[in-house]
Order: sequence, then structure tokens, then C-alpha cells
Amino acid sequence: MSNVEATTDNRTASRWEQLFDRSTRELLVGLLFAAPYLVLFSVFLLYPLLKGLYMSLHEWNFLEPSKSTYVGLENYARLLEDPAFWNALWNTLEFVGMTVPLIVGVSLVLALGLNKELKGSRLLQFVYFSPYVLTVSVVGIVWAQMFAQGGVGTQYFGWLFSGSPLNSKFWAMPVIVVTTVWWQAGFYFAVLLAARQNVPERLYEAARLDGAGPWRMFRDITLPHMKNALLFVVIASTIFQFQVFGQPYLMTKGGPVGNTETLVYYLYELGFQTRELGFGAAVGYTLLLILVGVSVLNYVLVGGNDE
Amino acid sequence: MSNADATQSVTERLTDRDTLYRIGLYAVMYGLAVVFFVPYWRMFQLSVTPIAVLSQGGFNWIPPEITFAVWQRYLIEEPIIYQWAFNTLTIASITTAIVLLVDSMIAFSITRLEWPGRGLILGIIMASFMIPGYVNIIPLYTLINDLGLMNSYWAIILPFAAGPLGVFLLVQFFRDIPEELEEAARLDGFSSLRIYARIILPLSTPILTALGLFVFIWSWNQFLWPLIVLNDDALYTLPVGVVTLRDVNALAPNVIMTSLALASLPLFIVFLLFQDKLISSVQMQAGTG
Repeated sequence: MSNVEATTDNRTASRWEQLFDRSTRELLVGLLFAAPYLVLFSVFLLYPLLKGLYMSLHEWNFLEPSKSTYVGLENYARLLEDPAFWNALWNTLEFVGMTVPLIVGVSLVLALGLNKELKGSRLLQFVYFSPYVLTVSVVGIVWAQMFAQGGVGTQYFGWLFSGSPLNSKFWAMPVIVVTTVWWQAGFYFAVLLAARQNVPERLYEAARLDGAGPWRMFRDITLPHMKNALLFVVIASTIFQFQVFGQPYLMTKGGPVGNTETLVYYLYELGFQTRELGFGAAVGYTLLLILVGVSVLNYVLVGGNDE
Repeated sequence: MSNADATQSVTERLTDRDTLYRIGLYAVMYGLAVVFFVPYWRMFQLSVTPIAVLSQGGFNWIPPEITFAVWQRYLIEEPIIYQWAFNTLTIASITTAIVLLVDSMIAFSITRLEWPGRGLILGIIMASFMIPGYVNIIPLYTLINDLGLMNSYWAIILPFAAGPLGVFLLVQFFRDIPEELEEAARLDGFSSLRIYARIILPLSTPILTALGLFVFIWSWNQFLWPLIVLNDDALYTLPVGVVTLRDVNALAPNVIMTSLALASLPLFIVFLLFQDKLISSVQMQAGTG
């Protein structure tokens, strides 16, 4: 059976060899294997990227795109003077600024704690990591309930807020932040746990013999060895959190008075509620530029570290 | 002798401090676990509390009486959640299959075949790490609309099937597979297709499993995009469907929480079965920073 297959293969191969020279053959086979991915990549990533730029230069008509009018950079000019855009940008920065440090802190504490030999560490790991497998709808709705009337958050922290914190201009965002930390910390905890477990134990033994305390060991051994993993956590969570949408959509509808409306939420409203597609595309492009900026900054920082 | 004494007392001090330290550690770690567990408990607790108790208001950790009536309703009487679970499962499975196939093919092509331009193409794919999917949703929406794919599984499957993560991971993994295996196979007259299917793929099952699990969970949990391209009750995925249930049951937290618990169960079971695989699939990604 396999003999027959091999002969057929050889015969096809030889005809194929007569038609093309070696390098052409390699190019064709190579492209054939790459083609399915490249088609999807071009159609659903590159094309929308270019079309988004094109749309952002137009007053876009959704029902009859041919009736769209070219407006140059007008959408971008409008954006710069649009209070809703600045509000969304500010809220997003506020969210990222609170969430990322908390995620880094919580996931680091979980990872360092669980690195020690604890009874039941598998169970603990399960509990910390499990929220990661939940969808944002479950997370958002459960946490909104916890801060509604009769919810556990309201029961124990009610003295902090009057009424529901999700209706409070001051508290709505912090509640969304805490929700997000609960949802996401486990993911980064797993990353940091692996990094911590890769630090050679003999370094700590040597330091202990030198009389180093826990703080010094943390500062001089743990932190430097976990630097790359920590950078990954900061970068990945910053870029991910910048695109926050589900939590405010489900918990506050962006309110009260737009206080938790984030950039992607604003993008969603423009695209799918008010149907200002051209302007929305400009907002999308601006968000893209911001995130590329964040990435480039990070690459520079990380690159500097590798050398 | 005095030297030994000194060592002894240092050890004792250490042991004392160690004990205290360990008690503190247990308190912090288990305390945090309890805090992490609270939302799950509240979800379950409310789902089994009778509406009569809930409407009295007030707060408790353990409901005075419990009922599984709502569970029964969604598990047996109203099968809508099964329909949504089926949609979600179909979409996540097809997405995972496509991602594994196209990613492994292009990674094979880039690492094992020699053709001009493959470095450039890899560079472009890696650069797309910087373009998070959501910034593109408006032009992507018009594209899906033009293709006539609105309200279909494909509207959710296709747009995010060509991500850079899988290519990145597989390129790294394939590079480390020794060349000798492949050379021997070529001498035996194996075609590239057979080398890909019979040598490279079987050697890569661990990484393909990890990548597959990650993509499956990501796809299963997608929210924003299905929310945009689906507007038919029968086609909803679980994450979108449970939100519509909340909107019509605003005054019945027990109904909402039951649907959320049911919606979370499938992935929880996956997680229970594949805890280590899933965690290592997350850890793998840290190499991407």
C-alpha cells in the first residue's frame, strides 16, 4: 500500500519537475501552503484596515456607500473638538491607569504566594485562574448584581456610597475596575507563576547563607529574574484593557452621564447606534494610532532591555 | 563548637520566623481565594433562591429556602439555552479548526520551505500584533454586510481567524524540530504535503492542543463582535443570549443568575478537564512580549 503511494508520488513529482525548475517549484509550494492564511489575513485584516482609512475621509452613507462624500480630514478635525471623544479617551485612560497596576499587583501576589509549597495549592490555583474562562457577560452581570440593592458589595460597603455605586459618578469606574481585576488577574497570575518557578532556587539558598532578608531577595533576585514576564503582563494588559467594552456596556451603559463611556464603547455607539460610520472610522483609526504608539513605546523599552 | 552554636540559633530564629510567615501566607492566600469565590457563590445562591424571598429584599449568605425551579425551567422546559450553546460550540469549533489548519500551514511554509519573501511576510504578520481587532469593527462590519454574511456563523468565524499569535507560536515550535527527520523523509520521496501531515503535525500535538484550547475559549467567550453581527434570537451565542435574558427578566435575579450559571458550565467543565493544559497555553504566550 505505502509502496504504491510512494510510486505515485514519484511519478507526479517527475512530471511536476519537468514543468518548473527547482526554485519556481519551491515558490509555488511555499505560496500554496501560505495561501489560506494569507487570503483570510488580506480580506479580513488588511482590507478593512485600508477601507477604514478611506471611510474616515468620507461622510459615509451606510445604505448607499456610493453617495458618500469626500470630506478630507474633517472627521479628524471634528474629533479633536468633540467633547464625547475626549471624555471617552479620558475614561479609558482612567480605567487603564487603575486596572493595570492592580492587575500587576494582584497577580504578582498570587504568583509569589502560590510558588511556596502550600496545602491545597491546586485548588487555590483553580479558584484564582477560573474567572478567565468566563465570558464578559457573565462577569459583568454578576458583578452588577453584587453592587445593586441587596448585593454583597452594597451590603458591606454601602456606607461608602449613597445608593448604587454604579449610579455614582465617582464609584462607577472603580467598581468596573475591581470587576475587571477579578476577571483578568488569574490569566496574568499563571504567566507570573511560570516565571517565578523558573528562577533557580540555588540563588535564594546562596542569598540566605549570606543573611539576606526576604525583601532583599525579592528586590535582587525575584524582580530581576521576572522582569521580562512582568513587562509582558504590563504590555499585554495595557493593550487589552484599552479596548474595554463589555464591562461598562453591561454594568453602567457608559453612565452615569457618560462617566464610564470608553473609546471602544464610543466606537460601538457611532458605528451601530448613530450610524456615523465615517466619523466612527476616524475614531477607530485614532484608537489604532494610540495603541500602535503604546506598542512601539513598549518595543523600545523591551528592546533596550534585551541588549 | 561556638560556630555550630551560632548556626543553631540562626536556624531556630529562622524556624520561628518561618512559622509566623507561613501562617500569614496561608491566611492571605486562602483569604484571597474566598474573596475570589464570592461572585460564584452569589451567582449560585441567587439562582436557587425563590423569587418570593428575593422580592422581600434584605441580604443573606444562605437562602432561607431553596428551589431548583428555574434550573429545571432552563434545563428541561425552555431549551433556548441549548440552542445558544449549540451555536457557540459550532462557531468555536470551526474557528479552532480553521485557525489550527491555516496557522500550521503557513508556519510550515515559512519554517520548512525555502521561497523568497517568506521573511517579509512573517514580518508583516508579526507587525499585525499591534493592530487589535476592535479598532477595525466599522469597516469590518461594512465588509461582512457587503459579503452578505450578516446573521450567520461565518460572520463570527472568518474575521478573526487570521491572527498573528498562532503563527508566532507555531513558527517558533517548528523551527526547533530537527532538520534530519525531514531530510530523511525527502530522500524517501515524501512530498511537502506528506512531510507536513505525517511528520511536522504529529510532532507538534502539544503546542497544537494548547493553541487550540486557547482559541476555542477565546472564540466561545467573544462578546462585542457577535453582538454586532447577530440579531436573530435563534442564532445568538451564549454570551449574547444571556444578556437578552437579563433585559427581559430585570426583576428576577434568580432567572438571570441561573442562565449565567448554565452559560458558564461548559467552559468550566473544559477547564476542570484540562486545567494544566489550559494554564500552560496561557504561559506559552508570555513568550510573545
